[in-house]
Amino acid sequence: MTQNVVTIEKEADIIEAARKMKRHGFRHLPVVETDHRLIGIVTDRDIRSALPSSQISDTRDGGELTGLAGIKIIDIMTPDPVTASLSDTIQDALLLIQEKKVGALPVVDEQGVLKGIISVRDLLRAFVHVLGIGEPGTLLCIIVEEKIGQLKKIVDAITEENISFGSVLVSRYWEENKRAVFPYLLTQNIAPIKRKLKKMGYTLLDPMDWYIDQVS
Amino acid sequence: MKRTGFLYDERYLLHDTGPSHPEAPERLRAIYKGIKEAGLLPRLTPIQASRADLKWIETVHDKNYIHRFKTACQSGKTTFEYPDNQMCAETYESALLAVGGILDTARLLMNDEIDNAFCAVRPPGHHAERDKAMGFCYFNNVAIAARYLQMEWGIRKIGIIDFDVHHGNGTQHIFEQDPSVFYYSMHEHPSFAYPGTGRVFEKGSGPGVGVTRNYPILPGQGDSDYIYLIEHDFFPTFDRFEPEVILVSAGFDAHADDDMSGIKLSTEGFSRMMKEIVQMAENHADGRLISVLEGGYCLERLPELAKNHVEVLLNA
Repeated sequence: MTQNVVTIEKEADIIEAARKMKRHGFRHLPVVETDHRLIGIVTDRDIRSALPSSQISDTRDGGELTGLAGIKIIDIMTPDPVTASLSDTIQDALLLIQEKKVGALPVVDEQGVLKGIISVRDLLRAFVHVLGIGEPGTLLCIIVEEKIGQLKKIVDAITEENISFGSVLVSRYWEENKRAVFPYLLTQNIAPIKRKLKKMGYTLLDPMDWYIDQVS
Repeated sequence: MKRTGFLYDERYLLHDTGPSHPEAPERLRAIYKGIKEAGLLPRLTPIQASRADLKWIETVHDKNYIHRFKTACQSGKTTFEYPDNQMCAETYESALLAVGGILDTARLLMNDEIDNAFCAVRPPGHHAERDKAMGFCYFNNVAIAARYLQMEWGIRKIGIIDFDVHHGNGTQHIFEQDPSVFYYSMHEHPSFAYPGTGRVFEKGSGPGVGVTRNYPILPGQGDSDYIYLIEHDFFPTFDRFEPEVILVSAGFDAHADDDMSGIKLSTEGFSRMMKEIVQMAENHADGRLISVLEGGYCLERLPELAKNHVEVLLNA
């Protein structure tokens, strides 16, 4: 999560909020009381909906927008927003963001004081990290029977070749009682391990075949 | 018939990558055999390797990196920075000779002693970054050649086309801010293939925006996709850029029989693609083209692929 959160007060006008978002490149501003307790959240979409469209791009120049100064944050914010707690995990945040269809979760302590914010962008960064695709490597797709011990054999075979893992994903497969295993291997030298896995009796699929099946 | 240079040197075989490594000396032996047995050697201008002056390598690589590489070799290490990069005490020398041979080839080209050339070198180069060895590559041969052509021979615009099945991350990053060197790469999609870069949205940065172009090919695709791409994308792109010399990062690992990738180019597909690239060099660069070996690991296919490659250059 981001710890030094840019916030806004409920009495501020929406032009100030728009400027803050633009300056920092954020799309969500938690709304807090002076004691830093969270009371709402305002998004760039809330602001766009409140402004006449002709004035959205003109938030740098106060001139014409003063007429809108009457619109305050408290008028457009979402009160009591969905929040995460400090003890929540990345998975909690992922599921909550998906379920509640929000773009960010303010993180609060037990007293409701704002401690940080976690956004879809933070989760995407974590996802890239988990996949290991920031490091050079190659993706394999191995089809295995769904029974205990399959992954161990695969991991052992790859480890014996002195290849490091970027990540391993396991996914359901279209045939019953089968799983697709996707090791992301930090090597260019994949021919020997592919031959070895085939010799062990595994089916290696073009990852693309699996992809097409999943997205179609 | 063109005057085609052929860089080959047995000292490139001394770079020993240990047992069962795909980037093996046998690759070059297979390439040489294919060209020799087809009776092409008498029609080619032979070029022997010489050691590169470090000042040219330093136009691309950090001095510290060069020193690290040299020291690792001399201390008897068998890998360098990644387990992929297997090496021996001779590797540094082979890498110097690869660069040196290519720079000699560039000199012959600019002195009008040859029209084009194929450089059968090891180790390959296109994964090598400014300060990092990757994917069997230590010095970025093609990148150094581009800098040499610019600085020594006053060439302004260089077009690099890379059809190795893996993305040439090193070459891209070295030139990504440089509008004078166009890096065009066709490779297996980075979601599936090493090194995981070369996505469509990587288009260069700063003053180099638009002078990098990546075209990922999905696994299972082959000849028709490559030819379509060359005719409908590569040609218009280089027509706009108007390169004065073409450098080719020639990897043969997109072949259907090469198990390093899922791409299914045929032997004929490689020839057709190379003919188009040679035509591009005719259109914009007075035919000036230097092709430099990158990957390609199928020992059964390499002799014919290399023979065909050289024939295309001779008959350009």
